[in-house]
Amino acid sequence: MRLTVNGNPIDIDADPDMPLLWALRDLAGITGPKFGCGIAACGACTVLVDGTPVRSCALPVGMVEGDVVTIEGLAGADGLSVVQQAWLDEQVPQCGYCQAGQIVSAHALLEEIPDPTDDDIDNAMAGNLCRCGTYPRIRAAIKRAAAEKARTGA
Amino acid sequence: MTVLARLLTAAVIAVLAASPVHAQDAPAVDDDAIAVDREKGLAEWDGIVAVLSHPRCANCHVEDAYPRWSGPHYGATRLHAFNITRGEDGSGFGNAALRCASCHFSSNSSKLHGPPGAPLWHLAPAEMAWWQKSSAEICAQIKDPERNGARTLEDIAAHVRDDPLVGWGWNPGPGREPAPGSAEDTFRAIERWAAAGAPCPAG
Repeated sequence: MRLTVNGNPIDIDADPDMPLLWALRDLAGITGPKFGCGIAACGACTVLVDGTPVRSCALPVGMVEGDVVTIEGLAGADGLSVVQQAWLDEQVPQCGYCQAGQIVSAHALLEEIPDPTDDDIDNAMAGNLCRCGTYPRIRAAIKRAAAEKARTGA
Repeated sequence: MTVLARLLTAAVIAVLAASPVHAQDAPAVDDDAIAVDREKGLAEWDGIVAVLSHPRCANCHVEDAYPRWSGPHYGATRLHAFNITRGEDGSGFGNAALRCASCHFSSNSSKLHGPPGAPLWHLAPAEMAWWQKSSAEICAQIKDPERNGARTLEDIAAHVRDDPLVGWGWNPGPGREPAPGSAEDTFRAIERWAAAGAPCPAG
């Protein structure tokens, strides 16, 4: 079957029931999305399918309808995305295992709500768990990214 | 029979009783037959409400914003984890960047505690609440076009039989008890209940 991942067509030979995460990591070598729980309960595997965040550990690859974007696909020719840069600026990660999923969800939130309130952030990010408890910095980074996007029109 | 219809029937009977000539032409009102139909209808309703109030259906027919989780592994019924709500827009499809469809795909996860799935996974509108509602309350809601999506009873029966998300209740994936019977059984029960006058139990 053929997937489009980060703008690139990828042909893979996979059982349609294989989770998208397995196809990305083991077959396509795209290892940004992480395995955490395997049952869509932690968010470490979050990728975008046609702009919507999905838990790739629970989505059978045969059900993927649309372009897949992983953390690797958020950066552009000019470098890191605004959200990625905000993550660095706020020094968000501690262990960093969840951050690929966190950043992908934050990116999707800002696409839909450019100037999110604290409640908007809580509502959007509650499915992305961080066992290091970096939530205050996650919130700060999202607000920083929102301000930067507003300033630059990114 | 509605209150208005009963009043009109009573008025007609009263008028006809005062006019013996015309009374011979009046349709007979068979109170025994009505009672039998009501009894049959209530028995059908008991089967229907057993489905509607089952956790596979009622957990997402809630009055507040929070879907529920329940089952043999959960102990008491609890709120869906991750602060999942019907959505700030009231749509029932969740919030920006955390829609129901972020985890609930078009079929069930094969993993225990993996996300169940069916097309267009979402919460029912708040006015269609069944969770912790009595049989009489659910019955009144089902018959109220203001609170049932402006559906006729025929529409409701077809909705139960044909909607894939409703049908999920009988195919809920590993570790979850299905709703009683089947979609087809429930469709037919609603038809029989409607034919019996769609009686509701006393509140």
